[in-house]
Amino acid sequence: MSSWLDYTINGLIVGNLYALVAVGLALIFGVSRLINFAQGSIYLVGAYVGWVAVVQLRTPLPVTIVLVAAFAGMVGLIVERFGLRPLQDSARIAPLLATIGISFVLDQIVMLIFSPNPRALPSQLPDVRFQVGGGTIGPLDLLIAAVGVTSALLLFLFLRYNKLGWAVRATAQDRDAAMQMGVDVNRVNQAVFGIAAALGGVSGLLVGMYYNQIDTAMSLQATLKGVVAEVIGGAGNVPGAVAGGLLLGLVESYGVALFGTSYRNLFAFLLLISVLVLRPNGLFASARQAPPEPLTGTFIAPSRPVRLPLWALLTALGIFTLLPLFPVSAYVLQTLINAWLFGMLALSLTLVAGTVGQVSLGHAALLAIGAYTSALLSLSLSFPVGIAIICGGLMSAALGTLLISPSFRLRGHYVSIATLAIGEIVSLVILNWESVTHGPIGISGIPPLSLFGYELVGAASVYWFTFAIVVLLALLQVRLLGSHIGRSLRAIRDDDVAARAYGLSLNRYKALAFIFGGFAAGISGGIAAHLYSYINHETFNTQQSILALTIVILGGLGNVAGAIVGSVALVGLPEIFRIAAEYRILIYGIVLLLLVRFRPQGLLGTI
Amino acid sequence: MRNIDRRSLVKGSLAAILAGATGSRAALAQPAEPILLGVSGPLTGPNAQYGAQWKQGFDLALDEIHAAGGINGRKLAYNFEDSQSDPRQSVAIAQKFVSDPRIVLELGDFSSPASMAASPIYQRAGLVQFGFTNSHPDFTKGGDFMWSTSVSQADEQPLLALYAVRHLGLKKLAVLNQNTDWGRTSRDYFVNAAKGYGAEVVVTEGYIADDRDFRSTLVRVRDANPDGLILISYYSDGALIARQARQVGLKQVICAASSVYSPKFLELGGEAVEDVHLGTRYFPEDPRPEVQKFVGGFKTKYGGQQPDSFNAYSYDAMNMAAAVLRIGGTDRRAIRDAFAKIHDVSTVIFGPATFDVESRRIKGAMNAELVVRKGQFALWDGKPT
Repeated sequence: MSSWLDYTINGLIVGNLYALVAVGLALIFGVSRLINFAQGSIYLVGAYVGWVAVVQLRTPLPVTIVLVAAFAGMVGLIVERFGLRPLQDSARIAPLLATIGISFVLDQIVMLIFSPNPRALPSQLPDVRFQVGGGTIGPLDLLIAAVGVTSALLLFLFLRYNKLGWAVRATAQDRDAAMQMGVDVNRVNQAVFGIAAALGGVSGLLVGMYYNQIDTAMSLQATLKGVVAEVIGGAGNVPGAVAGGLLLGLVESYGVALFGTSYRNLFAFLLLISVLVLRPNGLFASARQAPPEPLTGTFIAPSRPVRLPLWALLTALGIFTLLPLFPVSAYVLQTLINAWLFGMLALSLTLVAGTVGQVSLGHAALLAIGAYTSALLSLSLSFPVGIAIICGGLMSAALGTLLISPSFRLRGHYVSIATLAIGEIVSLVILNWESVTHGPIGISGIPPLSLFGYELVGAASVYWFTFAIVVLLALLQVRLLGSHIGRSLRAIRDDDVAARAYGLSLNRYKALAFIFGGFAAGISGGIAAHLYSYINHETFNTQQSILALTIVILGGLGNVAGAIVGSVALVGLPEIFRIAAEYRILIYGIVLLLLVRFRPQGLLGTI
Repeated sequence: MRNIDRRSLVKGSLAAILAGATGSRAALAQPAEPILLGVSGPLTGPNAQYGAQWKQGFDLALDEIHAAGGINGRKLAYNFEDSQSDPRQSVAIAQKFVSDPRIVLELGDFSSPASMAASPIYQRAGLVQFGFTNSHPDFTKGGDFMWSTSVSQADEQPLLALYAVRHLGLKKLAVLNQNTDWGRTSRDYFVNAAKGYGAEVVVTEGYIADDRDFRSTLVRVRDANPDGLILISYYSDGALIARQARQVGLKQVICAASSVYSPKFLELGGEAVEDVHLGTRYFPEDPRPEVQKFVGGFKTKYGGQQPDSFNAYSYDAMNMAAAVLRIGGTDRRAIRDAFAKIHDVSTVIFGPATFDVESRRIKGAMNAELVVRKGQFALWDGKPT
């Protein structure tokens, strides 16, 4: 019995850390309806500024905290002023993408200045331990809890009783109306970003001290857990974020208690999915509350797509078909093979995200399902590779649609978070279902690509194979979009209430889109498995999902040609920047930011 | 190594004399371009720290190789391409390397998915993929162009089990492992060996490599009532587990795999890693001359910094590559054959190292049993803690 007390205490301790990040995220979401993917990076900046203060300058703790808060707050102001404010009139999706770009840039700058080696960040509090249950807690645990609760409380009071706080809330409810009433919306945004960033920086400092360890990989983890905690508590709800963080910590701890450590995150994400499905506004939202998300149509900017003339398309097709006949290196072909593989994934995502408006952040899971299905069928049941890949596509279509179906009722950001969670769940199931997937050992010796008994091993033959498939899938998708189904899908995206009033069954059309999209992504995963010959649970990770989304937004949501152009651009750019070695991801992030800034509707425009 | 050194020295000086005799015409006809190696590894992304450590080891080895006259008179250089340990990028890099005639040998990648995805390309093109951190049992099965100096876990884990069970006298073990291909393979070998020595494994917990909170895991461990904790971890997660184990009140003996061997483990773990036992392939006070040369050279080059295991792996790999090139020349196929010919190359990890031609790996890594005492790694004196 005493163990349960320990599990509870441990859950609360770690939940405390999640809450700290979630509060900052909630604050920003509350005002600008934006999931700030750069919050984790500001947390990282805070941790490293704290390291400089503690280890180099030897400042006492209160000074350290003030210093970190000030510096991180400044970074927040800069991010808001130069990264996000220029985007306020573009579609909601643009700032979301910008925060991803900003997080790349900040993470890379920290990595370049401080090297990627982990560092110790010693706690400056006296090392006294209090016995609680079987374990002990230290003064830092109490300080973290105090900072979390106090900041949530202060923010709550600020939003309720302070004039600027009213302005913040007014802006959150209706930006235009607030402006009409004379609220300086920019100032409000700035204040919020400053506060959230200061809080984020201090969280990074405290968590770094707690573990006596900081490294540049902590940023993405913090963002992921923070987002989960925030959504559980109800996006934009500051006290809810604290409760969400604690609940998340508890669920993880009990999950470990019942099933073992390797199931830990599984429970976190299952909790998230159930909250999203059962109470999409979060656990602490009142039933009367208006949905905080605007109708999906405004999430994606309408724009006039660039119509590529037929001759240009045919010329491009011709050039790319004949390319291997010219003296190009196998390296260029391999890079383009990667681009075609990502092109298939992007076609899938541009359909569900662009055409239907279900912005998925877990698309790599579809790759993984296709890859594992195809690899296992060809290895254990000796299916011919071609058939195995098609089975991979079908499995991905079926399983992907089934997994996503509970979240069909969600909109906007919530779909993204639900799909993010589903992606993580798929990866964790692959990791834990050892009898089938071989768990972390992965599957090796997957036979190479072959077609009708001929092995495709040369770069040129793989190139033609993947190019043919991507063109085929693209043509199919163009046909689909031109039919009545395509019109219905866009109608659902633009106004789902109106679409339903016209008698469209939303769920069926969404399922249709996911079936088609799942197939394309599954094929891409299947080919990748045979190309790599070895896959494990890390082969298809969250970074690939984020990259796929970036490609789709860059190309123009819903735009078939855009998806392919985007893939070539975003797979090719980091290769071109190779010369810059350590700096290349930094440059990539900056290029991404510039693209979002000057062409938020994507290169070819949304359709 | 000493033999080869002397031989190559003789060869090198002979070549120099010949070159001097024939005048500068030959030198003009063939400018002394360095022999180029390709390195595929993480310089950015979540594993960037390991790429940075590789570079330190490579550069130190190169300094020494050049001081000793290079490869038969030619310089050696490497082209480090950042793969972020991502299979998608490592296959593109593989194509780049195989189609670049200047690259005679490839080193890396870091993680198994990235390395093994690129293996088919190297194998078909006939360029040696020399993976020196690839402990995945199937890595060298990718073909006869895959060679590895990564310590086989089938070798290493029984040594750790011997230390924990026979020497430290632990009978009921809790095993915590990184849930990766490396951690999982290691755990299986360890558990088998430990059982063979008569110990009981009361609980095993696999954790995700970037987990930071282990308190609840440790409660599970406590409830299983072990008398020792075995950590199959890297230094950063190993330090976190040790700290939190002490915080939740676990006082059992901790025994860790050699991968925690790093000055960072002491820095990150602080007082909590005091009395942690670990096996290691080398340590700074090791009297072997190759270790003294490595540690001394490293400290001089990097401002007093202590090298760690990953520095040693990359240092050895570069020296091994140099030894291979001295015999194999610059022909890719001859280089593959040279791997089977080199004999007793002096290395930090293995001592005199010779490849087993069947498995294309090296057996018999060195082993020392260390313990952390007063914040330093020290040879274990046989006293229980």
